[in-house]
Amino acid sequence: MEVEVDEKELKAAGAEPLPDGRRGLRIHGWEIETRKLSILTSSNLQLWEEKLQTSHLPEMVFGESCLILKHLDSGTKIHFNAFDALTGWKQEALRPVEVPAAAKWKFRSKPSEQVILDYDYTFTTPYCGSEIIEIDTEKHGREEISQGTYGLHWDNCEDKIDVVSLASKEPILFYDEVVLYEDELADNGVSLLTVKVRVMPSCWFLLLRFWLRVDGVLMRLRDTRMHCVFGVGENPIILRESCWREATFQVLSSKGHPSDSAAYSDPSIISQRLPVIMHKTQKLKIPGNL
Amino acid sequence: MSDLDRQIEQLKKCEPLKESEVKALCLKAMEILVEESNVQRVDAPVTICGDIHGQFYDMKELFKVGGDCPKTNYLFLGDFVDRGFYSVETFLLLLALKVRYPDRITLIRGNHESRQITQVYGFYDECLRKYGSVNVWRYCTDIFDYLSLSALIENKIFSVHGGLSPAITTLDQIRTIDRKQEVPHDGAMCDLLWSDPEDIVDGWGLSPRGAGFLFGGSVVTSFNHTNNIDYICRAHQLVMEGYKWMFNNQIVTVWSAPNYCYRCGNVAAILELDENLNKQFRVFDAAPQESRGAPAKKPAPDYFL
Repeated sequence: MEVEVDEKELKAAGAEPLPDGRRGLRIHGWEIETRKLSILTSSNLQLWEEKLQTSHLPEMVFGESCLILKHLDSGTKIHFNAFDALTGWKQEALRPVEVPAAAKWKFRSKPSEQVILDYDYTFTTPYCGSEIIEIDTEKHGREEISQGTYGLHWDNCEDKIDVVSLASKEPILFYDEVVLYEDELADNGVSLLTVKVRVMPSCWFLLLRFWLRVDGVLMRLRDTRMHCVFGVGENPIILRESCWREATFQVLSSKGHPSDSAAYSDPSIISQRLPVIMHKTQKLKIPGNL
Repeated sequence: MSDLDRQIEQLKKCEPLKESEVKALCLKAMEILVEESNVQRVDAPVTICGDIHGQFYDMKELFKVGGDCPKTNYLFLGDFVDRGFYSVETFLLLLALKVRYPDRITLIRGNHESRQITQVYGFYDECLRKYGSVNVWRYCTDIFDYLSLSALIENKIFSVHGGLSPAITTLDQIRTIDRKQEVPHDGAMCDLLWSDPEDIVDGWGLSPRGAGFLFGGSVVTSFNHTNNIDYICRAHQLVMEGYKWMFNNQIVTVWSAPNYCYRCGNVAAILELDENLNKQFRVFDAAPQESRGAPAKKPAPDYFL
């Protein structure tokens, strides 16, 4: 997904690519970087299972992949990673969703002793990103101050992300998409957590999307968008909009929409058909220099 | 050169056959497959391969590592199609090899060799795109119904795509299944193609989806003992390292799609058994980008909202 951007365009926007072959750029005091690596090895997967106290994780966990947006002066770091997202999954712990075949299976003769597993195999997560303040001090090396202690607060607000300005075709200086985890639900659909980012001369914008389709049962879309407009001489403000949508196949077909799973492979095309079940907008004011 | 040899050469270049050729090939394959047992006997030496999922150029890597058919005797554990870009060419090449060298390659059925699954996960759309009609998909899915359900190597190694079933204690019970049908949603045939071994249960487990069995170590021990086999070899689940033993080497998962879905970064493996059933796993990487031709992976930046 690397994109070759015109050097001149970068320069004109006051941006520079990251050194040492890292993906991303520096622009207006932000360092924006993506890392895309392989899925976890079996031994690392086991470590994660122990840390998260679970016996099941998605079949593809891109555990080392991430998106990081760091405001250099304040040390504020907004980042997206699979571990924190799965921590959210573990905490939310939704009840499992039964697939259509389950109804028939209830009448099937079963082995006399069987264990019914009941974890949320859809890996649904309320995750909407992670944030910390990270300061590089010469004396103590890297210091991390977690959220809260230094007052990184997302405050509810009425503002809206300016979609009109985002729709304008100013040049994209950096674009990438990172898969954080994915599961095929044993061929019963898809569970996918990804984050996309684009950086323009005037702002950065990202979309974190959890997409779930349990074939024949339901679709769930949990989107988090963040937008930060580059300003001069003031502390940046990040606007975060979370929107959760959900519908069962039954409801969709009763509204005259198709009910076969093949019609629902691309969430961006069908998202409008899914009713909104939660929406909120929040604002984060990046603190001044520390 | 016979038509069939020419078709094999063509498919090896990842060029699909004409619709009429596919039809004729499927008819010939049907005559061969219908004679096979649900527990097809396979002689050693043999090389066992797991899921391929339409990753044609990676399957060519597999043949580079494992040797060409018929020089090497192959057993493929199903899931030839879906997800990758070249399900048509992948399956037709394997099928053409089957028709040309019926005793040197064994193909058994995976859960993706099904009408229902292929309509959701790619093979149906690919046929439609490459042929402009669904006829090729029909010929292929009709052939899927004839694929055997399992294999038995030298009476010692049982091979199946998914795993065991609570409805199956003996291999003879598998032999009595009427397999010439779409994969059912439940029952023994469904379980053989769908079930998974599971660490955290000892006996049987039921998936949180409400359908799909999981089986633990004691189930495998008693199955292997009852049927006097050394171990079970299956596929069906992605393994980062290409293969994975479970339950004290009583069952092994073999996965043969490297860099699965073109993004996982996993290696793949095949299991080579010599005439004395000595094992050697051969691990391999995905084909290098320059050898796989289009489609190149460079989507334009996207003005997503």
